[in-house]
Amino acid sequence: MTSTLTTGDTSAAGATAGPAAAKQRRSTLHPYLFIAPFYLLYVLFMLVPIGVALWLSLCEWVGLGTPHWVGLRNYSHLLTDSSFHRALGNTGIYVLVSVLVIVPAALFIAQAINSRGLRARDLWRTAYFVPMVVSPIIVALIFGLIFDRQFGLFNSLLRALFGTGSVDWLGDPTMSKVAISLVMVWRWTGYLTIFFLAGLQNVPRELYEAAALDGASRFRTFRAVTLPALKPVTAFVVVTSFICAAQVFEEPYLLTNGGPAEATLSVAMFIFRAAFERQQFGYAAAAGVVLFVVVFTLSQLFNRLLGIGRIK
Amino acid sequence: MFTPPPPPSPPRRALLRGALGLGSAAALAACGRGSTTARTSGAVTLSLWTHDQGYQDFFTRGIPDANRLTDFTYKLTATRAGAPDLVTKLLAQAVAERGVPDMTGFEINAFPRMLRGDIAERLLYDLTDDVAAVPGLKEDLLPARTAPYSKDGKLYALDSDTPLVVHYYRKDLFARYGLPPATDTWQEFARVGERAHRRHGVALNVVVTGPDVSQVVQSFQMLLNQRGGALFDQDQQLVLDSPEAVEVLEFICGGLRAGFITDISDYFGGPMQAALQQNKVIGVLMATWYKVYGLAANVPDQQGKWRMAAPPRFSGGGHATSTTGGTGFGVTRDKANTKAAADFLLSTWLTHEGQIRRFRETGYLPTRASVYKDPALLRTEDKFFGGQRPFDVYTELLDDVPPIYMSPDQSILNDVLSGCLLSAYRGDLSPRAAIRKAADDFRDQAGR
Repeated sequence: MTSTLTTGDTSAAGATAGPAAAKQRRSTLHPYLFIAPFYLLYVLFMLVPIGVALWLSLCEWVGLGTPHWVGLRNYSHLLTDSSFHRALGNTGIYVLVSVLVIVPAALFIAQAINSRGLRARDLWRTAYFVPMVVSPIIVALIFGLIFDRQFGLFNSLLRALFGTGSVDWLGDPTMSKVAISLVMVWRWTGYLTIFFLAGLQNVPRELYEAAALDGASRFRTFRAVTLPALKPVTAFVVVTSFICAAQVFEEPYLLTNGGPAEATLSVAMFIFRAAFERQQFGYAAAAGVVLFVVVFTLSQLFNRLLGIGRIK
Repeated sequence: MFTPPPPPSPPRRALLRGALGLGSAAALAACGRGSTTARTSGAVTLSLWTHDQGYQDFFTRGIPDANRLTDFTYKLTATRAGAPDLVTKLLAQAVAERGVPDMTGFEINAFPRMLRGDIAERLLYDLTDDVAAVPGLKEDLLPARTAPYSKDGKLYALDSDTPLVVHYYRKDLFARYGLPPATDTWQEFARVGERAHRRHGVALNVVVTGPDVSQVVQSFQMLLNQRGGALFDQDQQLVLDSPEAVEVLEFICGGLRAGFITDISDYFGGPMQAALQQNKVIGVLMATWYKVYGLAANVPDQQGKWRMAAPPRFSGGGHATSTTGGTGFGVTRDKANTKAAADFLLSTWLTHEGQIRRFRETGYLPTRASVYKDPALLRTEDKFFGGQRPFDVYTELLDDVPPIYMSPDQSILNDVLSGCLLSAYRGDLSPRAAIRKAADDFRDQAGR
């Protein structure tokens, strides 16, 4: 009897719970359905290409026909390819310029724009930001003229000021790196300035007032108040500028085409060249994987060192 | 007897689903590769990819000729893109197996990519038999212009031009400075040029030292080929490391130091324009097409002041001149329009009248030797050259033009050789060391 009752209760409960459970299942599915399009696209356009690139890096492929499996041969070739080593070295220089020159310059400019009593603040802010929105093609055209050895503006200026000026900005291996770095500084500093400016405007005014009451100098205030308050922004800016510089392509491609003698060749350009000028897609994919691993590892290291995303 | 029950009528939703499926399939099929049953006559619409509006116009105007000479009635749809992008897009479309054009114009620097692996064999139609089928055509085509687009004895594209290298010079300034308009040898040219630079600060030739590596190599290769050297041989093997290459590089380095050759960032841009306008550069060794794209484009106001002459020769041997540049038009194989496209190309590009019209419309020289004997061409006078008859110069050179062979590794050589050339120009490497280093670096990188 008990068992009958129990069974009867259960079935009755089941009869009423069925649609409710189904409704609940549907309602728990809803959030997943809403976010599904993003993940679908993410898988289709992110994970699948990454997987294909990984597989391709183990093959030899000219861009048409069936790729031939070569195992780790592409990677072993990269180990002995002086061109790739040069590209890694150049990219290292671009990264150093970005992190050690551009980021501090951006902070300095942001500090200047944020100072009290500055007139036409918006104009300054816009002026510094403009290089970032100018088309790289235009940038390359203008700087190509500016850096020209015989008829360029820089050398004309040097000649006018010092009586001598035949610097081969784009033709000399060392000076071409300097030229690329100058363009990077010109182009990126203003953009990063905006981040620092946003950070500076969020530093509580009371902290500065307290520092002033304590008689702190400007430098001391900057060190003790501004820098610690800007740490999260700085960390973000350092990591993003590192990632951008590690993948720099436009400046060397448009200004020097990686030359002279690969003196300005970046890893991103190396990859492009291998794939779209030499039809070595497997080799390009292998270089891409190496670049990804290096950038990912170092940016993770930066994240840990700078404590990005950690709540204290 | 068993009679099967009638199938249940499909519900409305199933019908809709089925219709949708059929519609999608039809749409996909329409977007697909299309029929590959070869068309042998009738109306066809050819798709043409080119980087140059001039070619598009030429082929469009050639439709009546093609209609008259073939079994087809043509329409043409053209797509334009940058020369290197055309190859990239072509390969992408070929991988996708749809949207491949019927005809593509390959700029000569982009064509080596087609020679990598079996790309050319898989994608391009071999025009050898079509050329051979026209009596006398094969023998009439200049070998110098079929070599760059050939592989393993198969001809994959037909060149747009015979871009002979000539020496352009400013007649007025040459006369004012007392310089002879033509010299027999480069050694004599060097003596004259050195004096001209010392007295008047002018240069009689330029070499490119800018970021475009193919132009850097081009400056050197024009002279190398004329001297009898080459970058690659017929089997696509590197033959750069030669006494001829060293001699040519020594000549250029000597010219740069003496000042009668000046370095410039590129042949076409602002600095070259400034050099020409300021009368610092009063001579340029370059291809015949440079008149249109370099001189007339940069200094149109100097019309009538320029002349052209056969380049001086190397006393140690070699050829009367060399060639540089060009664009080969190829036909995609295994398409419904393949035959129609090949017929169109031959009936517009390679006929006597077509070659003359091409010269008149685009300035590109004929690729058939016999066309150079055409009286109308021989009588042609060029206003830019003060009424000079350019074919007097061309015909003088035509019998001694060396072929240029391409390699899929051309891009690698351009990269390594340009760096070594610049090092030699700066004096960081001796010419011999620069050539050797370029060859070594190439061997290190090629075939990876």
